[in-house]
Amino acid sequence: MNTETKLIKFEEGITLESGNHLESFELIVETYGELNKSKSNGVLLCHAFSGNHHAAGKSEDGSIGWWDQLVGSDKAIDTDKYFVVCCNNLGGCSGSSGPTSINPQTGKIYGKDFPQVSVLDWVNSQKMLSEKLGINKWHLVIGGSLGGMQALQWSITFPDSVNKAGILAAAAKSSTQNIALNEVAREAIRKDPNFMDGDYSINQVKPKDGIKTARMLGHITYLSEKHMDLRFGRRFQEEDSKVSKKVDFEVENYLQYKGEKFSENFDANSYILMTKAMDGYDIAQDKNTLETNLQNVKASLLIVGFYTDWLYPPERGKDIQIAAINQNVKSSYIVLSGEHGHDSFLFENEKYVKTLKEFIESK
Amino acid sequence: MTMKISTIIKEWVPNKSKVIDFGCGDGTLLKDLIKEKDVQGYGIEIDDKKIISCIKKGVPVMKQDIDMGLDEFESSNFDMSIMARSIQCLRNPNLALGKMLSFSKQCVVTLPNLGYWRCRLNLATGRMPVTPDLPSSWFETENIHLCTIQDFEKLCEDESISIKHKIFINQNKKEGLLSKIYPNLFATEGIYLLEKE
Repeated sequence: MNTETKLIKFEEGITLESGNHLESFELIVETYGELNKSKSNGVLLCHAFSGNHHAAGKSEDGSIGWWDQLVGSDKAIDTDKYFVVCCNNLGGCSGSSGPTSINPQTGKIYGKDFPQVSVLDWVNSQKMLSEKLGINKWHLVIGGSLGGMQALQWSITFPDSVNKAGILAAAAKSSTQNIALNEVAREAIRKDPNFMDGDYSINQVKPKDGIKTARMLGHITYLSEKHMDLRFGRRFQEEDSKVSKKVDFEVENYLQYKGEKFSENFDANSYILMTKAMDGYDIAQDKNTLETNLQNVKASLLIVGFYTDWLYPPERGKDIQIAAINQNVKSSYIVLSGEHGHDSFLFENEKYVKTLKEFIESK
Repeated sequence: MTMKISTIIKEWVPNKSKVIDFGCGDGTLLKDLIKEKDVQGYGIEIDDKKIISCIKKGVPVMKQDIDMGLDEFESSNFDMSIMARSIQCLRNPNLALGKMLSFSKQCVVTLPNLGYWRCRLNLATGRMPVTPDLPSSWFETENIHLCTIQDFEKLCEDESISIKHKIFINQNKKEGLLSKIYPNLFATEGIYLLEKE
C-alpha cells in the first residue's frame, strides 16, 4: 500500500458558515494507493469526531489507522483499486489548522479563538482539497457517525462531484440526546481547573482530567450494553493493574485507560469545537426540509445502521432513505448486527464488508 | 406458452414510472424494470443476503419487515406497488393492500390459490395442502393468510378495490382454458392489477 502524508496549505483562505474568515489554513492529508489516469478512482474518507487523517496502515510511531480494518489492500475499501484520501478536519488537533495551530495573523496559538467550524465548512474545505488533488468527482465519499454526516452533506452541496456516498451509523441531525451527552462531556472539560476558560496553552497546562472524563463518557455511548457485558462482565480488575489500583471492575479499568490515553493526545478546545459542530448539524428541521435538501442529490447513497447503536439508531438512517426515495434519489438502506454499538462502523464484519464492497463496485 | 409472472408484471408497469417492490428478493425483477422500462425502482426486503444482491445489482433497496407496517411510505407517491407472493405471509393483508393503494396509483398482487383442486383434495383426505406451489408443511410455512381466488376478489370488492386486469396460471405455469373459466378450482396462482375505485 503506497501511503503518503502531506501538509497542504490553502493560501486562499476560507469563509466559514459562521461568517468568520480564515485568511489561510492547512490540512494534513494521508493518501493510500494511486490515482488513475482518468482521476476517477478517488475515495474520500471523512473521519468521525475524534478521528484524524491516519485512517489506515501503521504510522511511524506504530499507531494503527482508525479504519484499518476496512481500508487497505484487498479490504472493503481496496487501496489496490482506489486512491483513498483522508484529511484531518479543520479545527482538529492532528496537524490541520485548529485550536493548537499558530494563528498567522498574530503569531500566537489560536487556542479558544479558533473559529467555530461546521460540517458544511469541512465539506467546503475538503472540496478545496479535491481541487488541489485534481479530483473533480469522487467515486465515493464515505464516513461513519460525524463522518457520515459529511458524506451526506457532500452529496447535497456538491451533487456533481460525488458518484456514491456511504453514510454509516449517522443521521441527518444530532438528536437531543446526542447534544445532551456532548454537553456533559464539555462540562467536564470546562470544570477542570486547568481549562482556564480555554487559555490553558498560554498558561502551559492541560485540562487532562476533564478530557479524560469526557472521553470515558464518550466510550460508554459508543458501546452497546450487550457488548460491554460480554467484554467485561462483572469481572474484577486484577490486582496488579498498571492503570489504576483504585478501581474494582475491569470495565472501570478500561474506561480509565482509554480516557487517560485520549487525554494525552487530544486538545480540549478542539474537543469542544468538534462536538459543537456535531451538535449543530441539522439538515432535517422537519421532514420537508430534509426532502428539500436532498432534491438535487445525484449520487447513489448507501445508508448503513447497526442494531446495537443507540447513539445514532438505525431508524435515523431510514429517515434519510425515505426522504431520498420521495425525492427520487437512488439510495439503499441496510441494518447490520455489529457487536460494537455505535462503533460498529469501524469494525470488520462479513456482511458489512460485503455490503460496502458490492456498493463500491456496483454500476 | 409458459407464463413467467415477472413477464406479466413487466407488461403492466408503465415506462419511466416510480415503482416499489415489497419483498423484492435479489432485485432481479427491479433490475429488469430499471433496464427495460427505465423505471425509478425501489425494493423492500428483509433478508440481508438478498439486500446485498440488490446492492450488487445497483438496485436501490431498503431493509424493512413489511409486516411491521408500511407507514413509512405514507408521504410517498408511487405509480405502482408490487407485492409478488408475499401478501399471504402478512399479518394484516387487507390493511397492507389498502396502504399500498393509498401511496401508489396501481398495485400488482400475485397470490397462490388455496381453492386449487389439489389443495381441496388434500383437505378432503383430511390433510393440510402440500402442493408444488405450496410445498411447506403447516408448521413451517410462512403462508399464514392463504385464501382462494374467490376470497381475494371478495376482499377487493369489500374494500372498493377495482381489478383492472387478472391472469390465472395453472400447474403447468400456463394460462390454460380451465384455469381461465374456473380459476377458483384450476388456477394455482392469480396475478392482479389493482386500483382504488
